[in-house]
Amino acid sequence: MAAVAVHQFAPCITCHAWSPDHSMIALCPNNNEVHIYRSSQDKWERVHVLQKHDQIVSGIDWSPRSNRIVTASHDRNSMHCFLSRYVWNREGPEWVPTLVILRLNRAALCVQWSPRENKFAVGSGAKTVCICYYEQDNNWWVSKLIRKRHDSSVTSVAWHPNNILLATTSTDGKCRVFSTFIKGVDTRDSKAGSSSDSKFGEQIIQLDLSFSWAFGVKWSPSGNTLAYVGHNSMIYFVDDVGPSPLAQNVAFRDLPLRDVLFVSEKMVIGVGFDCNPMVFGADERGIWSFVRFLGERKSSFSGSKYGSQFSEAFGKFYGQSKTGVSNDGIDPSRSRGGIHENCINCIVSLGEEGSSRTLRFSTSGLDGRVVIWALENQEDLSEYL
Amino acid sequence: MASTLRLYLTCIRNTLEAALCLQNFPCQEVERHNKPEVELKTSPELLLNPILICRNESEKCLIETSINSLRISLKVKQADELENILTKKFLRFLSMRAEAFQVLRRKPIQGYDISFLITNYHCEEMQKQKLIDFIVQFMEDIDKEISELKMSVNTRGRLVATEFLKQFI
Repeated sequence: MAAVAVHQFAPCITCHAWSPDHSMIALCPNNNEVHIYRSSQDKWERVHVLQKHDQIVSGIDWSPRSNRIVTASHDRNSMHCFLSRYVWNREGPEWVPTLVILRLNRAALCVQWSPRENKFAVGSGAKTVCICYYEQDNNWWVSKLIRKRHDSSVTSVAWHPNNILLATTSTDGKCRVFSTFIKGVDTRDSKAGSSSDSKFGEQIIQLDLSFSWAFGVKWSPSGNTLAYVGHNSMIYFVDDVGPSPLAQNVAFRDLPLRDVLFVSEKMVIGVGFDCNPMVFGADERGIWSFVRFLGERKSSFSGSKYGSQFSEAFGKFYGQSKTGVSNDGIDPSRSRGGIHENCINCIVSLGEEGSSRTLRFSTSGLDGRVVIWALENQEDLSEYL
Repeated sequence: MASTLRLYLTCIRNTLEAALCLQNFPCQEVERHNKPEVELKTSPELLLNPILICRNESEKCLIETSINSLRISLKVKQADELENILTKKFLRFLSMRAEAFQVLRRKPIQGYDISFLITNYHCEEMQKQKLIDFIVQFMEDIDKEISELKMSVNTRGRLVATEFLKQFI
């Protein structure tokens, strides 16, 4: 079985993030707090509760190198009438919050540190993306907004490994890539072709592949491929993001996904309403397809559904009477997945920093469980890793 | 007869399984608010196409979905005037006690007899499969209840009439 550990933390978990050494986990139990748990000898104890937000915390990210947590929430700062989010710094045993004024007037939906951890991006319901960087002179986090580009809420953001390109997905169904070059924070690389001569907020490309809401965008470890999901049960892969991208749509039979993760250049794990991670792999020609589900599935009852109609027809044929609403008239619902009982909405990699392959990752869902999955023993997937 | 009911319910069940993919979504129009988008319909991009499933002219089911909420409206078969009155009274009785059911809407949508409103909070607290089972079971039980009520009204009417007319024999 691919699931290594299952932990039940709360009735419902919105999002989670791991500390750099993977010994602590920060999660939001569907309220305005962030709980930090530390694992000690197979038991989890709650070490901190960060309580500064007023509404549900929608995004948490823990930077691997500088050990800082950024949290984003649906709330609004009562003093300044702006939406807020906090950067938490570890000082001694306590976490100290720093308020970041985002100048958003709607909820913040997602947040992510950039690869070099000098910036972070926030997607919001105000149809804008906010990029924040630390200004050394004022000792303060400053925000810059990308406005007027999105037609609807920005649901997910993802940084390219070069620290400059940012991909966003929105409920208008489009995925866009922007340049977030900020003078003084980023250095211009002479070798970076397309991103070197673009200013802040310039839209590099806009992908209009989905006709339903788009979620969960991620870049591959090399930055060559982009993947995102649409609510119409499709996952989109785009290679060579730039002036002439190469897009592939993969449609699958089951319920839509909410988030994806690249575990290697050729393998993507998607999680969503099926409560079971799905594996997508690319073959040698670069064509992506659905491989299989990662967890065990309880056997679906669709066999018995056909069986009962058949047996009813047989019964009529042989003159047996069946009551109008028999016991098998109420078809038992197909139970999905086995490990998560409700929708999985967050998937986080547990690999080492900077490596291009991840063998472990964790998922959290609305059932309040955090499950750690390992891919080491899955032989049929090793060709993709 | 039974097979069309089963097909109808299976169709509704499958549609609900696909449509009940709801998530928490803060309001885009008003800050700090979280409203069921299917009721407000302020942002058309957040709504999905409504689906109408008809068993025959008199029985149908409308399912409207949005990103954080789902509305199911049912029209129950009413063959004659008596069933009309019984259905209205019975469903009104249930709708007025909507808090006890949590997913019931206090007023049905225009043109329908009863409506349910399921939000992402219901999906977080309760299991999706159990919600779908509840709705389908409800639809099956409604028909039975209305027939039973009609039979009991007819029986009572007959008994009362018999008793009353005995004095004239």
